[in-house]
Amino acid sequence: MQEHAATTETTEAPKKEGGFPPFDTTTFPTQFFWLVVTFAFLFTVMWRLAGPKINAAITNRRGTINGAIAEASKARAEAEAAQAGYETALAGARSRGNALAEETRQKLNAEIARAKAEADSKAADAMAAAEARIAQTRETAKGHVKTAARDAAIAIVERLTGDKVSAEDATAALGN
Amino acid sequence: MALNPMEQFTIKPLIAEPLFAIAGHPIYFTNQALLMIIVVVASSLFLTLAVKPGRLVPTRGQSMAEISYEFVANMIHTATGEDGLKFFPFVFTLFMFVLCSNFFGMIPGSFTVTSQIAVTLALACLVMLIVIITGFAKHGLRFFMLFVPKAPIYILPLLVVIELISFCSRPISLSVRLFANMLAGHTLLAVFAGFVVSLGAAGGLLAPLSVAPLLLIVGILLLEFLVAFLQAYVFAILTCIYLNEALHLHDHH
Repeated sequence: MQEHAATTETTEAPKKEGGFPPFDTTTFPTQFFWLVVTFAFLFTVMWRLAGPKINAAITNRRGTINGAIAEASKARAEAEAAQAGYETALAGARSRGNALAEETRQKLNAEIARAKAEADSKAADAMAAAEARIAQTRETAKGHVKTAARDAAIAIVERLTGDKVSAEDATAALGN
Repeated sequence: MALNPMEQFTIKPLIAEPLFAIAGHPIYFTNQALLMIIVVVASSLFLTLAVKPGRLVPTRGQSMAEISYEFVANMIHTATGEDGLKFFPFVFTLFMFVLCSNFFGMIPGSFTVTSQIAVTLALACLVMLIVIITGFAKHGLRFFMLFVPKAPIYILPLLVVIELISFCSRPISLSVRLFANMLAGHTLLAVFAGFVVSLGAAGGLLAPLSVAPLLLIVGILLLEFLVAFLQAYVFAILTCIYLNEALHLHDHH
């Protein structure tokens, strides 16, 4: 520009050495022209291409992320519902199990009590029978003692006297 | 001449002959024009090719594009509210243009588009033009209430004058802030680079001293990267604030 200034306007010539370049007004038309062209170009690109494209990228990502978050929270709610259902089922099963166990225990207890009572009564019967047998045996043994005493008395009398004593007499003589 | 720190701001035609003329003004293809084209083509390609809408997990490039998009969208939303979002393409373009111009200007040997007052002033005037059109389109003549703050009647004339001056100085402050920041940073870098060269060329005991300005350059360079971003941000946020006033006058706050 300054070469141009020097050739066209002689008054601009001294500016070449000591002048302040930004205040060289001969360059202004060129500067304005290129500024308008480049700024308009950049504005068009930003307005029509870059802006909508970047906006779409940001909006898309936000949409995707929000969708994923919504999906995740839905899945979480489902999982929580499933967990609650599982826990309800578990609690039900546990209480049913407890009831069953209790019932079984009571049944078994009753059976045990019954069996024990039966065994007790059987044992009592057996004991009574055994006692009866013992008493009978004792009576029999008593009888045998009497007979043995009578026989011994008869044998003693016979040896001493030579008389035969009848069994009735011997018994009578022995008394009771 | 090579050490002149202002040399880097000279606009030079890359093709000696003018391309054509508009109303008698010759239009050249200059180093600044080349950088503007590189800036808009690079940012256009980056913001369109790096992004695929179907991508759930963004790549590094797409992530950067989305971050810049949301950064500007949030900026507009906080500064002007929901109805400011229709200005998104404009503010986004403005932000990306200034940001990329600033950053491409950081490449050694390139040209800083935003270090030219003509460019920043044109952008600031465009902003003010859009603010004024929006204001009149939305509020009609009630837009002039922008210059009438809620205050006792006896100080109103003074306040209206102050508001008017403040409004009219906006394009100047908006453009000079960006222009001066970029100009000052790059000039400072060039000045210190000149020190490195002249100390080194002096030789002898002075040569090792050239390390000091070199370290300073590294520090300033880091600062300039921050300024490059910050000035783009400031330009965009002020645009949003001015748009907010045009949309809601004073009754928003």
